[in-house]
Order: sequence, then structure tokens, then C-alpha cells
Amino acid sequence: MTEPKTDLTYEQAFERLEAIIARLDSGEAELRETLDLCREGKQLIERCKSELDAVSGELRELDLDALVEELQSHETQAVADEPSGPAAD
Amino acid sequence: MTDPLSPGSVQRTSAPPEPDLPGPFAVGRYAGELREFLRARARVRVIGELVNFKQRGANAYFELRDSDGALPCAIWSNELERMGIPEGALKDGVEVVVSGGPDYYAGSGQSSPSFSFRATHLKLAGEGDLLARLAALRRTLAAEGLFEPQRLLPRPVLPKGIGIVTGGGSAAQGDLRAGFARRSWRGTVVWAHPPMQDRRAAGAFTRAVQDLAALPEVELVIVARGGGSLADLWAFCDETLCRTVALLGVPVISAIGHETDNVLLDDVAALSCSTPTHAAEQAVQVDIAQAIARVADAADLLRVRGAGAIKRRAESLRTAARVPATHLRRERAGLDQRLREIRAAAQRGIDEREGHAARMALVLARKSGATRRTQVPAEVRQLTRIATALTRERDAAQRNRARQLLALTTALRAHEPDRVLERGFALAEDNQGEPVTSAKQAREAGDVRLRFADAAVDAKIGETDDRTED
Repeated sequence: MTEPKTDLTYEQAFERLEAIIARLDSGEAELRETLDLCREGKQLIERCKSELDAVSGELRELDLDALVEELQSHETQAVADEPSGPAAD
Repeated sequence: MTDPLSPGSVQRTSAPPEPDLPGPFAVGRYAGELREFLRARARVRVIGELVNFKQRGANAYFELRDSDGALPCAIWSNELERMGIPEGALKDGVEVVVSGGPDYYAGSGQSSPSFSFRATHLKLAGEGDLLARLAALRRTLAAEGLFEPQRLLPRPVLPKGIGIVTGGGSAAQGDLRAGFARRSWRGTVVWAHPPMQDRRAAGAFTRAVQDLAALPEVELVIVARGGGSLADLWAFCDETLCRTVALLGVPVISAIGHETDNVLLDDVAALSCSTPTHAAEQAVQVDIAQAIARVADAADLLRVRGAGAIKRRAESLRTAARVPATHLRRERAGLDQRLREIRAAAQRGIDEREGHAARMALVLARKSGATRRTQVPAEVRQLTRIATALTRERDAAQRNRARQLLALTTALRAHEPDRVLERGFALAEDNQGEPVTSAKQAREAGDVRLRFADAAVDAKIGETDDRTED
């Protein structure tokens, strides 16, 4: 059975889905291929839904300066938390 | 007098560590000659960004800069006044064109020397000057192939995160939000708001674009600003900014000014849009609401078409299973009939020949009774041999027919349903032994018998998945 690639973009996943439906419509697929196509199609639909869900909730707005400050404070904290080495003789 | 700058005035010394060079000259004399040498250079016009403008005594001092270098400049205050430049216009970042040439203040025993570009004329750069400089920059970057890399980057159709460089609270920011709303897109936006009006904003733009591109959640960057004069938009023609964007690994969409404006950033970006609204639509190429409906439709289609395809396959198998059985029954009946006819015909032939032989024997016996009695047994024996041969012939014909029948039966068996089962299919039957060919029939039957190639097993129909019953 063909497993959908995990790194497919939304567009690639949807194109593959349309190709699967066209193949099922053609009536040329054997029983085993038909079952495999249905299974792959369901996985692609889940992938497309997941991609769309990620951008259809609430708009999240961040400020670059605030992010940079946050990153810098984390770095400072990480340096401060580092255990000091053995004292020089 | 010997010219200290002339190669002819060489005074050699034999001291080993000292280089073999002209001189030594008195420094004041050398500095004076240097000043004259520089003043003799061609007078030119230079364009660049003015910084650190200061007026001190009879002179005004400033620097001209661009991404490749800088030049210290000086102009006499009275000459500057004649230029008629508005008060406060010579602020940091303004583009100016300066006419003049190199000069050198030789200094003295009490004052330090200095080099400067002595300006005799200064003006704010006009549209023509900026366009000429822009054209030169455009040629340079194009020749280096810097218009290509961004356009070759794959642009996400449905980004989850977008970085945006634009003025805080600007009309462009509002247009971008409206564009995203029109697409029903509600992902993550990281805003960067460097000063957009400052002509020295290019450095801040460059840092903002670099920082945004470095964030893992940002899949593409938009740089947007409303319209203005070329001088107002000059920061978006900055060479450093454009080189940075050209080599960035994240696609950048530019939306600077109006449709007629064409800044250098447009040339190096992955895509140039006429308005921020257009940029938002190009950043999110999918209408989310429509896409959700399309995926739902595709899910329905997949369910219906998938179930239809499986049903068609099942019907085709059922037909394939029925046709050979019907054909086999018909052929068997025909062969049985033909066998019966052959046997009857053979029996009739043998009976006729045996009757004929008996009659002949009787006639011969009668004829030979008066004359040669000894010959009669010989005739009778011959007739008996003929009858025996006929019997053998009949038996051979029957065996031959039986072999033909067996061969036909074997050929027909190849089409029997059992052979289909041997290829991995199963036949569902109800308690009457009739094939069950649909989910509906299976539900109605309740209990079914699944015939596999090796054996049959009983099965009970439980909860069914409605999605596959169409």
C-alpha cells in the first residue's frame, strides 16, 4: 500500500487526493488497489484538515522586538545558570 | 628647486636598514606639495547619504556615506548659505549631491592637518539624481545575478506563520490585516515596526528582515509601506538591504509604495506586489473557508466513489462466479444427452449387425445342410468373430467418449467459483446458500456463511459502518 508522504504540503496533499478520486472514478483499479486508495485518501484528508485547522483558529499576533528581548533574557539566564568551573589556582 | 614629489629627486643613502626611497623632505614642504597635488585632481559630483552635519567657524563639515564607503566633506559657510537649502533640511540620512574635489589642509606647527572633499556646491538629491543612482545599483545587482535567488525559492501556498516589516499603526498594517481576514486566514503574524519615515531606516529594515527570517515559525516575510516620493522610499533601494534580502533563505514579498513606484527591493524580492492587500493575498494563496469546504467535498467524494468502486468490483466478482456455474450446468446436460444418444446409436448399430449376422448364419446353415455340412461351422465362426469385433468397437467408442467428457469437464472446472476463491476472495452466502452481494443483504441475513478456498466459516453481521454503505 502507498503511504502518504509526511512532508507533503497542503497543495500536494490535495492534488494527490484529487488524483485518487479520479482513479476510483475510472473503474480501472483492482479491488486491492481500491482499498489502498481509499485508505490513503482518508489519511490525506486528515492531513489537509490539520493544515487548515492550524490557520483557522484565532489570529496570533506577536511583536518581533518583544520576541528578541525574550530570547535575549533567556540566553542571559542560561549563562547565569551555568555552573562555574573550578577556581583557578 | 627640487620637486619633493618628483621621482627625479632621489638622494641615496648607504645605511643598510633604510629603504632606498627619495627624500628625506621637510614635512611642511611635502604637505604643501601634497595639497597642490590633490587640488589638481578633477572636480566631480558625488552623491551619498549625509551624516554628522556640523557648522564650525567659517566651515560646515559633514560626511557622505553609502554601503561601500564614506568621504569627509567641508564647505565654506558663506557658500553653503548661497545654496538656499531650507533650515533643518541637512539632517542625517538625507541624500545630497556635492560638487568639488579633494583638498588637504597642511596644518602647521600648532595645528593638525586634515583631508576633506572641498565642496563648492551642495544640493538635496533630486528625483533625477536618485533615479540615476538607482539605475546604476540595479545594473550592478543584476550583473551579480542577485535578482534570481529569491524567485527560485519555493513559496508556501498556506503558510502558518508570516513575518511583516511595516509601520506600526500604518494604513499598510490595516490593509494587511484586512487581506488576511478576506482569506479567512488566522495563523501567526510576527510584526516588526522599524521607523519607516527615517531615511536611515535601511539598516533597521535589514536587521528586522534577518531577525524575522531566523524565527522558526516564520515561513515568509512581507515588507510593506504606503506611497511616497522616491526620496521617501529611498531606504528600500539600499544596497545592503537588497543584498541581504536577495540571499535570504525565506521568501520575501515586497509591497512598497504605489503601483508606479519601483524600488530596488522589488527587483530582488521573491514577489513584488502593488499594494499591501495584494501582498496579503499572495502570501496566503488559499481561501481558507473555501478550502475547508473543498476538503469536506473531497471527503464525501472519496467515501461515495470508494464505496461505488468496491461495489462494482463485488458485482463483477458475483457475475464471474455465477456465469461459469450456469454454463457448466448447461454443458453437462448437453454432454449427458449426447452420451445417451451415442450409446443408443451404438447399441442400435450393434443390434442391427448382430441381427444381420444371425440371419446370415441361419441362411447359410440352411443352405449347407444338404451339401457340405462341414463348411457351416466355419461360416458361423466367422460371423461370431465379426460380432465380437463389433462389441470391441462399441466398447472402444464408449471409452473414447468418456475421455472427451472428462477433458471437457476439466476445462469447465477452471471457471468454477471455487477457483475464484482460491485466488483469495471469499463468497458470502445466506442460510439458503444464495450469494450475499450487498451490505443491505448482509444486514437482513444476520448470519452469513463465508466460503474461503479451504473451508467455510459462519459469521454474524454486527454493527456496520454507514459510510461504506452508499
